[in-house]
Amino acid sequence: MALVRNCLLPSDLLYDVPTNIWVRELDDGMVEIGMTDIAQTLAGSIIHCRPKKVGKKVKKGKSVATVESGKWVGPVRSPFAGNITERNDAVANDATILNRSPYGEGWIVRITPADMEGDRTALVGVEEASTLYEAYMQEKDLASCIHCEGFEE
Amino acid sequence: MLALYKDAGYQDVLVEEKQALFDQVTQDMRYPETLYGCYECGICVAACPSARFYDFSPRVFAQVMAREDVHTFYELLNDSVWDCSQCFSCTCCPRENNPGAIITIMREVAVNNGLASAKEALQAYSRIIFKIMSTGTQVSPDMLQPDFFPDWGQDVRDVAENLDVWRRAIPPETMHTVELAWDVSEKTRLELYMIWKLTGNLEMIENIDEGLFMILEEVMEELLEEHGYDIDDFDNILED
Repeated sequence: MALVRNCLLPSDLLYDVPTNIWVRELDDGMVEIGMTDIAQTLAGSIIHCRPKKVGKKVKKGKSVATVESGKWVGPVRSPFAGNITERNDAVANDATILNRSPYGEGWIVRITPADMEGDRTALVGVEEASTLYEAYMQEKDLASCIHCEGFEE
Repeated sequence: MLALYKDAGYQDVLVEEKQALFDQVTQDMRYPETLYGCYECGICVAACPSARFYDFSPRVFAQVMAREDVHTFYELLNDSVWDCSQCFSCTCCPRENNPGAIITIMREVAVNNGLASAKEALQAYSRIIFKIMSTGTQVSPDMLQPDFFPDWGQDVRDVAENLDVWRRAIPPETMHTVELAWDVSEKTRLELYMIWKLTGNLEMIENIDEGLFMILEEVMEELLEEHGYDIDDFDNILED
């Protein structure tokens, strides 16, 4: 687990730093997608998460879910083109999970990528992500990540 | 072409770029009715609520525009322009200047050109725009969150924690929901979407927040599909 300005970055994940997304490669060829600790900090208290329906075809860089906090709304962008094979109904019912457990219970969708190897090349490992996030946070003037009560590391 | 303030920021930005933005403001059809000359009497500043709280002065806007000082104009466009509360108290000007209206035009220019200051200033309004488009109402009770209203102190924490209970306690019809202010028909939402699309408002949103634009299009595409319309087939939608 890497730590950048109090923001956690698990070592076993891949990251798309510009869109603030993490990716976990699963054994069955699927990938799991979620928001990073930095993303949940920038959003503030999240009140709604609406993942798209299972079976929906997504393009790379397009939205797989909509996330809303008090005054902010934004897309969760998919780093892969493919089909949504699973959605996490738990975060759809209780979006605060994204603040409490961004890397665990807070996964958003699982996708079967159309071009795993091709799209994967745009992602970075934890080491490179740490360097990029340090610069990203400096640019956003973000002092450190904020963890709510009950945050799961 | 001297700057009103010698220390005007953004010295590294080309004067041509500043001039082009300045021209967009002065060429706006509303602009001639905003500025008639300035005595520097300060009545507008005395009436301005923002001047009491920020390093902000409506008089500076009138002066800078009248002097055609593009350097200070550019600094204002990237900073102070967002401090105005658009209350138009400054229209008490004895020369009938309207610094608030100058600022309205400047803000539109900042948004149309996708300036970083506009992106930053409007970031906190993304959900309001999303709410208008997806529900037809701009505010919802669940916007009352402690991290967005820290100045409300304990009050907002109490309200946010028991929002649904407070909502149910209101006697008039509120649909007892925290996600909507009131119900707006789908027809009205579709009309609103058409107005935004045809007037260039959606394009303006795309310049400022591409992510927001993307989800707005998706929400409306879904709604239109439900009604059997193609998102780009406006003639058909308008006829119906």
